[in-house]
Amino acid sequence: MSTEAHAAEAPHGASVGTNLAIWIGLVAITGLEVFLAYEELQPTLMLSILVGLSLVKAAMIMSYFMHLKFEKFSLVLWLIPAIIFCICMMLIFFFPEAFRLLQMRPHGG
Amino acid sequence: MVTHENGGGHGHHQAPTGFIRKYVFSIDHKVIGIQYLCLALFSVFVGMALSALMRLHLGWPNAHWSIFKGGLMTPEQYLALMTMHGTIMVFMVLTTAPQSGFGNYFLPIQIGAADMAFPVLNMLSFWTTMVSLLVMIAAFFVAGGAPIGGWTSYPPLSALGEMAGPGQGAGETLWIIGLAIFCGASLMGALNFITTLIDLRVKGMTLGRLPLTCWTWFVTAILGLLAFGVLLAACILLLLDRIAGTSFFIPGGLVITDQVITWHKGGSPLLWQHLFWFFGHPEVYIAILPGMGVASHLLSTFSRKPVFGYRAMVGAICGIGFLGFCVWGHHMFISGMSPYSAFAFSILTMTIGVPSAIKTFNWLGTLWGGKITFNCAMLFALGFVSLFVSGGLSGLFLAQPALDLYLHDGYFVVAHFHLIMGVAAIFGMFAGLYFWFPKMFGRFLNEGIGKLHFWLTFIGVYAIFMPMHFLGLAGHPRRYFDTTAVDFLQKLQPVHVFISIAAFITIGAQLIFLFNFFYSLFAGKECKEENPWHATTLEWSIPSPPPFDNFAGVEPVVYHGPYEFSVPGAADDYIPQHLAPNLVKKA
Amino acid sequence: MHDVKTDAALDSAWSGGASPFAMGSKKLGMWLFIVSDTLTFSALLITYSYSRLTNPDWPKPFPMNPAIIFSTTMTVVLLASSLTMVMAVMAAQRNDRKSTVLWMIATMAGGLTFMGLHLREWFHLFEEGATITHNPWGTPQFGAVFFGITGMHMTHVLIGVIYLGIVATGYGRGKFSAEDVEVNGLYWHFVDLVWMFVFPLIYLMSVKY
Repeated sequence: MSTEAHAAEAPHGASVGTNLAIWIGLVAITGLEVFLAYEELQPTLMLSILVGLSLVKAAMIMSYFMHLKFEKFSLVLWLIPAIIFCICMMLIFFFPEAFRLLQMRPHGG
Repeated sequence: MVTHENGGGHGHHQAPTGFIRKYVFSIDHKVIGIQYLCLALFSVFVGMALSALMRLHLGWPNAHWSIFKGGLMTPEQYLALMTMHGTIMVFMVLTTAPQSGFGNYFLPIQIGAADMAFPVLNMLSFWTTMVSLLVMIAAFFVAGGAPIGGWTSYPPLSALGEMAGPGQGAGETLWIIGLAIFCGASLMGALNFITTLIDLRVKGMTLGRLPLTCWTWFVTAILGLLAFGVLLAACILLLLDRIAGTSFFIPGGLVITDQVITWHKGGSPLLWQHLFWFFGHPEVYIAILPGMGVASHLLSTFSRKPVFGYRAMVGAICGIGFLGFCVWGHHMFISGMSPYSAFAFSILTMTIGVPSAIKTFNWLGTLWGGKITFNCAMLFALGFVSLFVSGGLSGLFLAQPALDLYLHDGYFVVAHFHLIMGVAAIFGMFAGLYFWFPKMFGRFLNEGIGKLHFWLTFIGVYAIFMPMHFLGLAGHPRRYFDTTAVDFLQKLQPVHVFISIAAFITIGAQLIFLFNFFYSLFAGKECKEENPWHATTLEWSIPSPPPFDNFAGVEPVVYHGPYEFSVPGAADDYIPQHLAPNLVKKA
Repeated sequence: MHDVKTDAALDSAWSGGASPFAMGSKKLGMWLFIVSDTLTFSALLITYSYSRLTNPDWPKPFPMNPAIIFSTTMTVVLLASSLTMVMAVMAAQRNDRKSTVLWMIATMAGGLTFMGLHLREWFHLFEEGATITHNPWGTPQFGAVFFGITGMHMTHVLIGVIYLGIVATGYGRGKFSAEDVEVNGLYWHFVDLVWMFVFPLIYLMSVKY
């Protein structure tokens, strides 16, 4: 009922062309990632670039395919900071222990 | 604009007729709420029975009891009792009753909705919880018995299987599966609560007019949504360690009962502790926050005064929820932690004192100068405040890493978390039950028996847990089965006897409550009015018990804040939230 | 001090009576599920980095040819299924039931192809002697992480395919609305999004030179 009306009133979202462009962009970034892997970069640099590119891809998928760009911005504020906060807390506090363990067992035993 | 037609808004469903549709697989949030409460009531008595057996052993370690094979409890039995007591109480009572029970029943009504946003998901959530309870209880009946790893189930011992102890075989596997299922059930519940509160508030029910109970259920749901996902991941990894033979949590070179473990290496038990406590600390607030909401609600209603500092209260609720994700490390101070992390966790943990103090002082401010009615609901709400303060203060001790090194894994910690997480939350539930019972069942709980129940319980829990602090300060480790083998513990035995006697009296008092519950359910004083307490929120504007669709198809409109008591110039000393502004000054 | 708010104040998005995000409840519910599932996968990926950091003999077993080329193909297939899902949602918003169902079937085909390729890769690894507990290259943690995380992701793909099947059937028969298709799309794109992290972290960080 209301959903049909809603869809008819405001067919929000990007056009086919935009979505296709986004898709091509995603495939291109994937290609870039594979190329970087082929180039044998230094691991830390490689990791930073890959995570950065993945975040860009995630943002593209969420904004266009998942329509987040066309929803109210307040929704973004409700959803995204909570995720980022939780992940950051885990990243900050889990890893000192991991580094300590690394030093405690040099042979990976 | 998309309005209420989505999901379970107004005017959507009709009352079911068959027994199964009405009482078993019901999609009515009120029935589901009562189902959750029944599940919690059953679980709390199971959990209490387990603790009674433990107290029996701790009070009189050498006495023979015919309930045990050979008259004596074995250490494994003791650990199994302890594990299952913790698990059942934390997950099946403290997580389900305040949030899924009372929240399910009253959140939609208090915001003026006909049902939750996803009624079918709500039903699924309950039955998934039920399956999880059955799977966990099944652990008692498999070979080896119930798990002995404690409710935190620390690896490596929980990951190695049968060789780590009799209950660590099939019992532990069932335990983890039960917990993973519970994660799913809680996720369903949490997203349902959040969506309901965001989408189904009736016209005029702004965020600033939400009763504090709704605020706490809302924040609790957010905590559940964020925390249970992480626990689910941890459970999957632990299951893989046990079933598939991986070593996520098992380091190399372990020796378990004279056997060298060669087939596991490379994992880290600390990782489980991080993942578990990342969930575990928010879980503490999942248990206590709804109690805070109920206490605030009742203190205001029964002292006929607005809640002191409503906005500060909301801020404190959100602040406690937020800080809940920043402090899990204080459970791991002695697990070996970088001193920098420990310092950060210590500071953050003590910061929780700020919103907690805001809440406590606002509760006192609400009471100050009020016309206080000391009925059972109010007594339990006051009891909640008392327990919250005495349980919370010891948290500041434990937040100091240096002090925690001594107190951790001792009875001081047991006393601390039982007071604040266990008993305080249960007092919040009792308060809510005495308050809402007439709305839910159309009859009052008996006040006389109720007061007896309150005083016995209130004095009883302090008699149980206050001495435990001193046991802890004297260096008594927790989870010890044999208290007779060590010299310095023998001198503490009289304290154990005292605690055990207090525990049995307190458990007896709960039988009084059980009697009151069933007696009042069928023969209590009838409540024919809609609003016996002269309260303001929307659940008191509809019949007791409420009809199937709550507001009989008529959407209420909200004009007032939730706690407008003793407003100068108003006809009564309370203004219901839905009262039209032109009717306020009729006198 | 009861403040009777003016009507203008009650017309704000949060004053009740309507969704403050101007979207259906089901969509909000799915977004909340996605938040929670994101944290589940984050915890798994963090477990991976934790294990890798604490085990210096972490193997790098994937040669560019064929392993990386193969997994890149899988990635493109999954991305393509996301595009067909976008088309399905757009068709549903036009009330074009027939093409919606066709696009959804295409999406399912993409998902199934992804799973088929993935399983082929799994079996190839089994042949090389790599299982969840052992592998010929280095720390056994590698297999645990690899099969654990990709298995969890594949479970999500499988659930997604079943979910698509149910919604496509129901939508074709007029039982489900365009919103249901859109909500289904959210889930499917999320599964794709997770792979956008799994692929670089698991495969590209373990290339054998």
